[in-house]
Amino acid sequence: MRLSRRTFGAGIAAFTVALASVPSHGAEAPHVLRRWYTLILELVRQTPTYSPPVAARAFAYLGITTFEAVASGSQTLQSLAGQVKGLANLPQRKPGVAYDEAVIVHAAMAFASQTYFGNTGPSGQRAMKALEKKLHKEAAAGLAAGVWEESAAYGKSVGEHIFAWSKGDGGAVVENLGFPAEWKLTPGPAHWVPTSTIALQQAPLLPAWGNNQPIAMPEAGACPLPPPPDYSEDKESEFHRQALQVVDAVKNLTQEHKAIARFWSDDPMLSPTPPGHWMWIAMQIFEKENTDLEKSVEVLARLGIAINDGFIACWRTKVEFDLLRPVTYIKRVIDKAWEPLLITPPFPEYPSGHSTQSGAAATVLAKDFGDPFAFTDATHVRDGLAPRSFKSFWEAAEEAAVSRLYGGIHFRAAIDRGLEQGKCVGTFVNMLKTRKA
Amino acid sequence: MRRAALCAVLLLATARAASSESVLRFSDQTHTSGITSVYAGDYEFTVGGGASSFDCNGDGFSELFLAGGENRATLYQNRSAQGGDLAFTAIPSGLELTRVLGGYPLDINADGTMDVVLLRSGENVVMKGLGNCRFARANEEWGFAGGNAWSTAFAATWEKGANWPTIAIGNYVDRFEEISPWGSCTANWLHRPNGAETRFASPLALTPSFCPLSIIFTDWSRRGTPDLRVSNDRQYYEGGQEQMWRMESGHPPQLYADKDGWRYVRIWGMGITSYDINFDQYPEYFLTSMADNRLQALAAVPQEGQPKPAYKDIAYPLGLTAHRPFMGEDLRPSTAWHSQFEDVNNDGRVDLFIAKGNVAEMPDFAQKDPNNLLVQGPDGKFIEVADKAGVASTNTARGGLLADLNLDGKLDLVVVNRWVGAEIWKNESEGLGRFLQLRLRQDGPNRDAIGAWIEVKRADGKIMRRELYSGAGHVSGALDWWHFGVGELQQAEVRVLWPGGETGPWETLDTNAFYVLERGKPAHHWIPAPSP
Repeated sequence: MRLSRRTFGAGIAAFTVALASVPSHGAEAPHVLRRWYTLILELVRQTPTYSPPVAARAFAYLGITTFEAVASGSQTLQSLAGQVKGLANLPQRKPGVAYDEAVIVHAAMAFASQTYFGNTGPSGQRAMKALEKKLHKEAAAGLAAGVWEESAAYGKSVGEHIFAWSKGDGGAVVENLGFPAEWKLTPGPAHWVPTSTIALQQAPLLPAWGNNQPIAMPEAGACPLPPPPDYSEDKESEFHRQALQVVDAVKNLTQEHKAIARFWSDDPMLSPTPPGHWMWIAMQIFEKENTDLEKSVEVLARLGIAINDGFIACWRTKVEFDLLRPVTYIKRVIDKAWEPLLITPPFPEYPSGHSTQSGAAATVLAKDFGDPFAFTDATHVRDGLAPRSFKSFWEAAEEAAVSRLYGGIHFRAAIDRGLEQGKCVGTFVNMLKTRKA
Repeated sequence: MRRAALCAVLLLATARAASSESVLRFSDQTHTSGITSVYAGDYEFTVGGGASSFDCNGDGFSELFLAGGENRATLYQNRSAQGGDLAFTAIPSGLELTRVLGGYPLDINADGTMDVVLLRSGENVVMKGLGNCRFARANEEWGFAGGNAWSTAFAATWEKGANWPTIAIGNYVDRFEEISPWGSCTANWLHRPNGAETRFASPLALTPSFCPLSIIFTDWSRRGTPDLRVSNDRQYYEGGQEQMWRMESGHPPQLYADKDGWRYVRIWGMGITSYDINFDQYPEYFLTSMADNRLQALAAVPQEGQPKPAYKDIAYPLGLTAHRPFMGEDLRPSTAWHSQFEDVNNDGRVDLFIAKGNVAEMPDFAQKDPNNLLVQGPDGKFIEVADKAGVASTNTARGGLLADLNLDGKLDLVVVNRWVGAEIWKNESEGLGRFLQLRLRQDGPNRDAIGAWIEVKRADGKIMRRELYSGAGHVSGALDWWHFGVGELQQAEVRVLWPGGETGPWETLDTNAFYVLERGKPAHHWIPAPSP
């Protein structure tokens, strides 16, 4: 690949300048894109503010950044400008100027990485600098004079434009790792109470996240859910029955159930988070299918928007119902000594965030790659978890959802309704036009 | 508005703390003490910056060894008079190496002269004590393979029947991996004796290794054999967690696992300190981290037999989470490094010091992050007094020590900061309780009785007990006087549980005094030489 692009850059440079409005589409651009995303997925894992909603937001804007940077030179990609709220007047390429797609992608990602992950630790900062330097060297080699400068400036300008747009969505500033310094619990036995003795987590994570401006959904409440089963300690009630279902699930865990629970646990700071997990799935498919640049940026943008809007919809519903977690109810009503398999996340229960965002992700990926589309997911292989294979994206989403039951952190209603909510969010994303007619 | 309200709450909490803070008062003697050391350096010195104290000239006063990172490490000779101001002089010692993260004192060859193990970014070096605070490299003489890693944690023990120590070294991430350092934790090493020889064998790789910043040999189950507890930094590992290796002399270490009852915990592990703070005969472990810190107590203490290695976190109910600054306007989450349980007001209840400081310039964490001094009250809960006591520095702290540097029975404080000079405070509190300060001695190897337990009876009959370990902290450790506060007791009963299982007799000792407890002999009252 290196040789072919160098040949392109050196040997056909004059031809490219002559046909200045024709984008160069360097063969390495997908490689550059994947290298940056690989680092981004590490930064999500390593940056303490990157809880799942925050990660999803970053993936949305990173995806839109590269999509718009590439779409402006594409014959087939349709910009999202005018389709999503507030996105307009994107920088355009200069007529008659030659651009290199790899450099554009590199410059856009270098800017966006530093922008969205400027708060990462020293190892992340060091890694970003090192990757920028390495890819700069690779991307610049063999380019005709002026192509680097124009391409880099353009890529950065798109990054700046998207960043300026992103700042108004309500999610740009995350303080205290996302936990309010003060929080008043909702009175009543049905409502969420802290489930750990971590001092920081005595308030729920990001309770205002559901007020953020979504990207594909017309409004944050565009995918509402019916209420969960009425809270009751009556043994004949549906609520109690669903609690017993959690108890039974954890009591009767098979090795397969445990493997599923761990595989989709996707804990912040110990994994790329649930949004990052779906990004890894896309990246693995890119690698296997040798997906080209345009398709790659299209998928990353759509998937990023889906999980971003999925978390907004989900968090809005969580705060609306503010339901207690299974561990709270079960210890209170059924078994004081009961413990879930997974650590219960520090926010209300209904619906399940992983279910919502997985439903949204599966809905858009099915449109991108077809349905059914079989794939193998090795996201956690470096953490010692074996790859898992799926016949379709929806099958993976359903497994991610039910993993929360095996883990003992969600009732069944949160899982089923979460998937439905995700499908609703994904449908809005699928209505966006990313290809020209 | 919200922040202002929180400030008010914190100020109220501080006000409550002040009413019960006793009379703790420290004076900052940094600029008059002669301590000028700076822990400097970039990425490879993000962690480290240790302090250690030990007596290398036999006068009973502890010298200070401070790491310098890219600067040279420094040994400061203690020239303080008993009860006087803290006074130190940097002396040529042979320990002035660069790239040192910290050093731990250990009498490796049991000659009665302290040796020092230097942890470095690069080759680790064992420095043989030559006497009168002079040291010489002994890697070759003692068969110590220094390697070329980023060494960040140390612990030492004498395994059963051994005449030479076992040293565990914790190693951090692959420092040469720039673009993807995550998941590149390098192997920890176990340097065991080479059979019956007085030298080390080739080190054993303790894999899997997960980037520890603190390790400790500790007899957590009281079975008579210390195991190796490892606190790992989750920033860098993949598939990792906190670890504990079961140690048996002559056998490879075995990791405790689910089947043994081990419960996984995953934190930014940065430092360990240990003490039996709830009088259940088992040590509790304070684990420093970012945001919340943990205090681990056994989840279940069996009536008979040995406990399982399952721990519960009791920091929150005891007021020990120390998860954000307790003063000032900067209320972002904290970053904690060295910690140490000691009784700073001599009331018979151990207190806790925590060194705090941002990793570098991480904007999600407090930049002005005051160190903590948390004093234990009669109800077992801890309250913050660092600001009132005068030790709430907001420099970027790393290592540190509470130690009685002027032998007045009151613990002083030294803290190593990143980029700026180390700080030192003299404990000038009035009206504190009484104290005992003890040194252990035994013939043969392990002269300082590492692994022993000292027990002291309080006035209420409860037994204070502490395990004598070498290692832990954040690249900081002392091997000098073991300190106990005893409240108003004029006399206190003391005994030693010696390594190997022998239990010494209870002895009644006058308090406000120093003793050398030698195995098989009555306690020897030690008195500092009069100041010249």
